[in-house]
Amino acid sequence: MTTTSTPPLLAGTPERARFTAVLRAEWTKFRTVRGWVIAPIMAAVLCVVFTFLVANGTHTDFCTGTGNCTAGHAFVPTGPKGQAVADSYYTLGGRLTGDGTITTQVTSLTGVISTAPTDVAPSQAQQTRPGVPAWAKAGILLRPSTRQGSAYAAVMVTGGHGDRFQYDYSHDDAGRPGPVSAGSPHWLRLTRTGDTLTGYDSTNGTTWTRTGTAHLTGLPATVYAGLFVTSPVSFQTSASGARTLATATFDHTVIDGSATPSAWHGQSIGAGEQDFYPTLRAGSYHRAGGSLVVSGSGDIAPAVVQGLLGADTASSSLPFGLTVALIVLIVVATMFVTAEYRRGLIRITFAAIPGRHRVLAAKAVVIGAVAFVIAAVAAATAVPLGEHILHANGAYVFPAGALTVVRIVAGAAALAAVTAVAVLAVGTITRKSAAAVAGGIVVFVLPSIIGSISSGGAVQWLYRLTPAAGLSVLQALPRSAQVDYPYTFANGYYPLAPWAGFGVLAAWAALVLGIAAVLLRRRDA
Amino acid sequence: MNDAIIEVTGLRKRFGPTLALDGVTFTAPPGKVTGFIGPNGAGKSTTIRVILGLDAPDEGHARVGGHPYRDLRNPLRHVGALVDAAAVQPSRTARNHLLWLARSQTLEAGRVDAVLELVGLAAAARRKAGGFSLGMRQRLGIAAAMLGDPPVVILDEPFNGMDPEGIVWMRKLLRTLAAEGRALLVSSHLMSELQGIADHIVVIGRGKVLAEAGIDELLARAAGEQVLLQTPTPAEAYRVLHRAGGVTTIIDDGALSVSGLAARQVVAALGQSDVVFSEVTTQRPTLEDVYFQLTSGEAEFGTNTVQGAQR
Amino acid sequence: MIEALRAEWTKTRTTGGIAWLLTGAIAVTIAVSAGIAAATHVSPQGGQEDPTKIALTGVYLGQAVVAVFAVLTISEEYGTGMIRVSLAAMPRRLVLLAAKAATTTALALTAGILAVTGCLLVGRLMLPTAGLDPAHGYPLISIGHSPTLRAASGSVCYLVLIALLSLGVATALRDGAPSIAVVLGLLYLPPLLAQAFTDPLRRHIEQIAPMTAGLAIQATTDPHSQPIAPWAGLGVLTAWAAASLLIAALLLRLRDA
Repeated sequence: MTTTSTPPLLAGTPERARFTAVLRAEWTKFRTVRGWVIAPIMAAVLCVVFTFLVANGTHTDFCTGTGNCTAGHAFVPTGPKGQAVADSYYTLGGRLTGDGTITTQVTSLTGVISTAPTDVAPSQAQQTRPGVPAWAKAGILLRPSTRQGSAYAAVMVTGGHGDRFQYDYSHDDAGRPGPVSAGSPHWLRLTRTGDTLTGYDSTNGTTWTRTGTAHLTGLPATVYAGLFVTSPVSFQTSASGARTLATATFDHTVIDGSATPSAWHGQSIGAGEQDFYPTLRAGSYHRAGGSLVVSGSGDIAPAVVQGLLGADTASSSLPFGLTVALIVLIVVATMFVTAEYRRGLIRITFAAIPGRHRVLAAKAVVIGAVAFVIAAVAAATAVPLGEHILHANGAYVFPAGALTVVRIVAGAAALAAVTAVAVLAVGTITRKSAAAVAGGIVVFVLPSIIGSISSGGAVQWLYRLTPAAGLSVLQALPRSAQVDYPYTFANGYYPLAPWAGFGVLAAWAALVLGIAAVLLRRRDA
Repeated sequence: MNDAIIEVTGLRKRFGPTLALDGVTFTAPPGKVTGFIGPNGAGKSTTIRVILGLDAPDEGHARVGGHPYRDLRNPLRHVGALVDAAAVQPSRTARNHLLWLARSQTLEAGRVDAVLELVGLAAAARRKAGGFSLGMRQRLGIAAAMLGDPPVVILDEPFNGMDPEGIVWMRKLLRTLAAEGRALLVSSHLMSELQGIADHIVVIGRGKVLAEAGIDELLARAAGEQVLLQTPTPAEAYRVLHRAGGVTTIIDDGALSVSGLAARQVVAALGQSDVVFSEVTTQRPTLEDVYFQLTSGEAEFGTNTVQGAQR
Repeated sequence: MIEALRAEWTKTRTTGGIAWLLTGAIAVTIAVSAGIAAATHVSPQGGQEDPTKIALTGVYLGQAVVAVFAVLTISEEYGTGMIRVSLAAMPRRLVLLAAKAATTTALALTAGILAVTGCLLVGRLMLPTAGLDPAHGYPLISIGHSPTLRAASGSVCYLVLIALLSLGVATALRDGAPSIAVVLGLLYLPPLLAQAFTDPLRRHIEQIAPMTAGLAIQATTDPHSQPIAPWAGLGVLTAWAAASLLIAALLLRLRDA
């Protein structure tokens, strides 16, 4: 031939180089249609704008138990790692200087549960029934101060989880199992040696078993130490929870060989009107013979959404804007393939690139990358913006660690990318844009819309089985094994772990992509 | 092995109840323009789609340069095709349309400008293809076909929508490309378009190849030259010409057609016998005649030229 | 106008896939209702349920298919360039639009009647097994019951109005993909947006959004639980459909084909 030399007909260009060529072709196709470039940018803008509007429209009123509502939110303690924690209890104790050991015998743990739901203000006249929540706690506590949210270590008996050694809200070691009763009292001991705190338990007060050890670095010489009792909101009979109060009897309380010092005093921590954690009463103590009887209400544990707290999180204003952006991206992803079918351009494409699966793969990479970048930029802007607006409006935003925020942003981006690829496949299957857009919206967006506006048990399955499960990547609320709580969607919890939910979405995408690949091979262009 | 050849063997393709291709076999040789002619719906486009690997045949195969299309690496460097001129994304510019094709074949952007120049679209390169006239889209399609400078060029109805100037340009281009040694397959439903440029003709009708031959052979096969004349005494003229050895037909009251005699001989014979006549014209067979003879009377050619189906 | 109607009817009738789409709309509507009915389990101490509303749940999804159908009747013409042929044959563009609207209405009405009837039958047959039976104080679904008749006829009207809304949007936008996205976004997004707000803003959003307002008519037992009164809600949707057709008519007149 005349100008260029014809390359060897079947010469082995490396497979990767050939795919790169297809990729470059598809990218050129994408970027040379102005509408396809503008629309995703619009999607990002819409995502940010709607996130702003949603956050801006959210106003939280904080209502105290006496029914006074003001703008703002209840006080939520912040733990040593910046996490939200519950830190409400009744304690009897005092200062302890230097190393030391406290020992006690718990002979009973009983309690009452309110018959009114949590959102009803507590009153002395409130009806109760007997009952001890599984995570009602009574034991020995040691911490730098009683400031809420500060570090601590404690050894305790519980209502249903046996003896435990816990520190800094999220660390939990199991000790001897079984409940406390007069017939089987539990002995507890907490020892401080420098920064090291060690918990023990015993059945007889002579042979001790180590339950757990904590290293609280920077522990001051003089710390607060004493007995504590607390009892969390129970969700056993009421979906909205019921306030509880536990009462424990402590015998043989000894500090470094001497009996309970007279300087010890009782105080209620975190049971005020401004405190978020619902408590039944402020708690109290009295001496009965040689015993100390202490009552307390509240919890020392990670905070989950409950009680007076709203469910605003770093990602809670995002879903609407993200859904709008997804719909725009769905249109672009669909047209990226259906426009070729509509114009007959697909024949030119397949004549130029007979490996049709490579065309589909290249298109998927291009549209997936575009959607990923767009959603990443949108989410990275919208999440901090939404959080800022919520703060400014007086809402309490559940603190999320940097890693969680990164996961939310990356998750939103991956969600958009996989949805775009899946819809591309739907477009390849239907070859008609209207049908593909409708199919894409119905299959990949509608379940999450239905899920968020309806209630009931079926919703949980929506977020387990349908592509809506992908939204799990936006989960910003913490779960904790130390808190019995209905972790349902209605309460702000997706039923699946973030990346497991994403896996469900990815499986759907893989399914439609597979169907598209098979049809592409079988059909004439 | 020559790259510049298309071989189609025994193609069959059924679309539902319609048998679109019924054993299509032919060859488009190098250095020649192969005219691929037949009425609308005869199977031309389907055959071309099969050659390009777009449609899968139920039976038979098509090879380009000895290979199935799907085995070609960077196929546009081997085969350039204009299938559907309307197949452009309207909002994409002509240059960008060619650019993505070039990217897919690892060709440099320089080729894009070269082919735009070749087809005379350099000035319109940055205009959106949606605003192109049909003729301009045809040129854009030709540009896409020539992008990889391929040894084989397939053009489906390239003259559609072209203005007279464009047709002249296209005919010249086709001759040039064939002269460079390429194999050209040019389909058309209008015979006249291919007269004078096609060297080799494949006539297709109802999914079957009705004839495949060089253009001279095909014309020769058709009925030979005829002499037409007007006369007030047809019966007498008939007798004279018959005696002179001409096969004569009385067309109507005052007109005769004569074959087997040259016009000069007809004039001489009639002159000697004092038969009055006027308007002597010689009629040569055209591709059109061949085509109509083929498509109306398939049986005449059926036995010796219909190919395929014998596998 | 008669010729325009006949032309449109012939065109729609002969467009491939329209029959399939409408059949699909009916099937999807009834199938979703049946699925919901099968998944319904009412505990004796549960709150007051609305059997008719449960039986008509399929409309939530069926409307998407109806919207696709209505969008296609016009976007296919723009896609293939046939709109120029249509406008050449019927130069009075508003007549063309009116004819299209009439054809779309007739077909959506037929599909709607079939779908809603199917839903009610499914509800009547399946819901008693879920505990919604006369023994528990839930009469069998019957259109003799006037709120049920209102819900059923309202749902049919709802589907017709969705079709007209879609037709208007598609005429204005001309391209199928953005049109269907706009329609479905308009239908499905406001409830999600409303979710992010508290009353009274939430209620206002639900009162003006086409889907939440329009489907308020499905409530039979407790209309006050709905954001808007039944027929008023349908009126809101009618306003949406009228506005979309008005914009479509204006654009059709002003624009070059």
